[in-house]
Amino acid sequence: MFSNKFFTYLRRFYKGNPAAIIGTFIVVTMLSLSIFAGAIAENDPNKRVARGHQPPSSELLLGSTRSGKDVFSQVLHGGKISLLVAFSAAAITTVIAVAVGISAGYFGGRVDEVLMSLTNIVLVFPQLPLLIIIAAFVGQVGPLVIALIIGLSSWAWGARVIRSQTMAIRNKEFVLAAEVMGESKFRIIFVEILPNLISIVVGGAMGTCIYALMAEAGLEFLGLGDPTIITWGTMLFWAQSNSAFIVGAWWDMVVPGAAIAIFGGGLALLNMSIDQVSNPKLRTGGYIKTWKRMKAETEARRAGA
Amino acid sequence: MSEPLLKIRNLCVDYVTESGNARAVNNVSLDIFPGETVGLAGESGCGKSTLAFAIANLHSAPALITGGEILFEGQDVLKMSDEELRGFRWAKASMVFQSAMNALNPVITIGEQLVDVVLAHEEVSLEQAKKRAMENLELVGIHPSRMNSYPHQLSGGMRQRVVIAIALILRPKLIIMDEPTTALDVVVERDIMDQLYELKEEFGFAILFISHDLGLMGEITDRIGVMYAGKMVELGATDELMSDPKHPYTRGLLKSFPTIFGPKERLEGIPGNPLNLLDVPDGCYFQARCSLCSEICVSKMPDLIQVESSSKRLVSCHFAEAGAAE
Amino acid sequence: MSFILRRFSFYLIAIFIAISFNFLIPRLMPGDPVDALFASAQGRMPLETLQAYKEMLGFVDGPLWVQYLQYIKSIFTWDLGPSIMLFPLPVSELLAVKLPWTLGLAGMSTVICVMIGLVIGTFAAYNRGGFTDRFMPAFWAFLGAMPQPVTALFLFFILALSWKWFPLSYGANPDLDPAFTLEYVGSVIHHAVLPITCMIIGGIGAWIFNMRNAMINVLGEDYITMARAKGLSNRRVMTHYAARNALLPVVTAVSMQIGFVMAGAIFIETVFNYPGVGLLLFKALAARDYPTMQACFLMIVVFVLVFNFIADLLNLWLDPRLRK
Repeated sequence: MFSNKFFTYLRRFYKGNPAAIIGTFIVVTMLSLSIFAGAIAENDPNKRVARGHQPPSSELLLGSTRSGKDVFSQVLHGGKISLLVAFSAAAITTVIAVAVGISAGYFGGRVDEVLMSLTNIVLVFPQLPLLIIIAAFVGQVGPLVIALIIGLSSWAWGARVIRSQTMAIRNKEFVLAAEVMGESKFRIIFVEILPNLISIVVGGAMGTCIYALMAEAGLEFLGLGDPTIITWGTMLFWAQSNSAFIVGAWWDMVVPGAAIAIFGGGLALLNMSIDQVSNPKLRTGGYIKTWKRMKAETEARRAGA
Repeated sequence: MSEPLLKIRNLCVDYVTESGNARAVNNVSLDIFPGETVGLAGESGCGKSTLAFAIANLHSAPALITGGEILFEGQDVLKMSDEELRGFRWAKASMVFQSAMNALNPVITIGEQLVDVVLAHEEVSLEQAKKRAMENLELVGIHPSRMNSYPHQLSGGMRQRVVIAIALILRPKLIIMDEPTTALDVVVERDIMDQLYELKEEFGFAILFISHDLGLMGEITDRIGVMYAGKMVELGATDELMSDPKHPYTRGLLKSFPTIFGPKERLEGIPGNPLNLLDVPDGCYFQARCSLCSEICVSKMPDLIQVESSSKRLVSCHFAEAGAAE
Repeated sequence: MSFILRRFSFYLIAIFIAISFNFLIPRLMPGDPVDALFASAQGRMPLETLQAYKEMLGFVDGPLWVQYLQYIKSIFTWDLGPSIMLFPLPVSELLAVKLPWTLGLAGMSTVICVMIGLVIGTFAAYNRGGFTDRFMPAFWAFLGAMPQPVTALFLFFILALSWKWFPLSYGANPDLDPAFTLEYVGSVIHHAVLPITCMIIGGIGAWIFNMRNAMINVLGEDYITMARAKGLSNRRVMTHYAARNALLPVVTAVSMQIGFVMAGAIFIETVFNYPGVGLLLFKALAARDYPTMQACFLMIVVFVLVFNFIADLLNLWLDPRLRK
């Protein structure tokens, strides 16, 4: 029962939706590469294995950094941490956004007012400068702290969206019925309301993931990260400090940058396709082609008649 | 009999979906004569609104007019060029939509919405257009000072009057009204209907009145057409049709409406569900819900034919002559 | 009007929170806040100046709230003290000089993003299933996911360093005197092209995407059908009926993104050595000049809030339903 419906749903999701297919492919590939980095990359990312700034070759697939370390294994291992940070931040953000959004939407009244004022204030603050200041004062921050700070400051937009969705569902009859029947509020929220929010929650989580990835890279690029830990962001930092571009060692800079862009792009594509599933009007549906064909046929017939 | 103003012949409108084509209007033919009021009845989804929109060729993807002709004063609307179509729309045939709140643009004033249609069709100055707009507002009982109001600032009834004013402003020959009073309470509905009679008296336009409210239709229409699952199943003069319905569906519809006057009768609904247009049966579309259904109904689609030579009644049922009141 | 007042007071509260944040953060860090804040000042400024500076920032004797009041007073009298790394230049002057450059970047790129994004988004929605509709939103989403510093560096490397089409740094040719001469203005534009391009690449995806979705939703509304039924010209339907309504959610959505735009500006100014507030923040960061950093932060926050307020006013103008 579970598998049949699930697979049908998957098939309908992917059919005629190149964005979804490409997106999933990218995300899954890069995730696997990172998780199995140890097995795939032969060289220890922290060891010096060649002369500085060697271009890509058959030996070193993606060249070497200034200090002679293998860029290929760095980008793989670094991916582990960067993606971990991105996912953790997204998780923290999602939990907070859901908690705040559903509470505000469901309970309404005073609770709503207070939560919304709080949310609006957090929303309006530009996040990166905030992150920079915090990070600057705390000193050099490891990936964990970065994940935490990003998670704690990016939940506002998701909370707003979830709140309005909750408010729309809240007055639907099945919820009112459950309340009259005396179900506990807790149960109502988890069993009746939450399942209907899945698509926007997932969409929001993905958006935060992309944002977190970039924010982390940005912070580390500015030198606020812990440069001894290898992540995509610190790779960018080192490349910049070593003037990679200027001395012509473009791979030092481009590889981590491309990694972020491709993964972020894959997530963005996936996000877009999920959007289209939850709001069918937004689809670039296959029916349009059929429609155009039929229209042309009809008009030809009419003109000929 | 004068020439019909509007001649719809074998119209077919399909909705293209990923699961196939749903034929929302299935080979429908209808005439509307100048100055007459024709009603179109049927449950939600039977194709009446789709038919209405087709008259001005308003459909866009995924709907498509796949066959038939729509002859307005002899000219086929479906063959008109974009220029001709724009000239035809509203000037010859205009529309009154069901929900005025949704039909009016929320971000521009109602005055602008009256004026822009005048300017789009006639070579007049802005001043003259505004004057016309104010005159039409007065016609429907709205003070001209309301020209600068936005739709959300008016009450529901006033909005519907504005929509009627806009429909009238070019003095069209045909006004298509799609459930014009469904969204209003009965008191306002009475007002609006009365206003409508007056205007019709004065300007003599024809009306295609679409509604599921048979009681209301019985009052104002000259003829009624009943649709089911995209097909026209019965068509005839209002009084005759309502006192002597010949199609089982029409009978069912009439039995579902209570009357205030007259003996107390038990209300009956029509059993079953509306037809899934993606999965139509052979034979009569009404078979699953019809008490008269028999072998021939399941295999052969009944034609829409004139049943009595005296009246101009058309019915699509194998048992039309035989069917007495159940 | 009450709408405007409400929003305004909201922003005022937000500014106060930012100020309080600036006030609290050094005091919440481990160690002596004064030492931390002014560590980089040692040996750079005369002791009396340092002392006055400390007092101005609220490090006076007395309970916390007294310090807070002092801090607020300094901020509102725009007395932000001398910068440490560029002593004796006062921070307020620095900010005043740098602000126009950042404003110019953000403003210009937003305007261009709006114009191009709206047109492409509208076009994509109107021609569903066409090439633009299928390709554009995805393409720009992808490009936008590229981290700002990388795009900036990319453009820098190729267009400025290698092909030498554009200058490597500064807001304008440093040999020229600022004036409203054709030469100077031309130089400003020349120097601005790459940074603005970077900002556009990062931001336009959002506009296209939002506009397309908003348009698609609007095009399904009854008043559009009625507008077409009225025989109005395509142009009038698309502008007065469709776009006017689609703009509303778009303005709201994108005004939320202003913070993001500002963040991008920081990276771009760093890469291109563009003399704006972002670069100042970066340099202050490198020099551990905390007071300047905090001042930049405050400036950026105010900036974002002002943009948001403008968006609110815009919303009010566009949507008569808000004007009760």
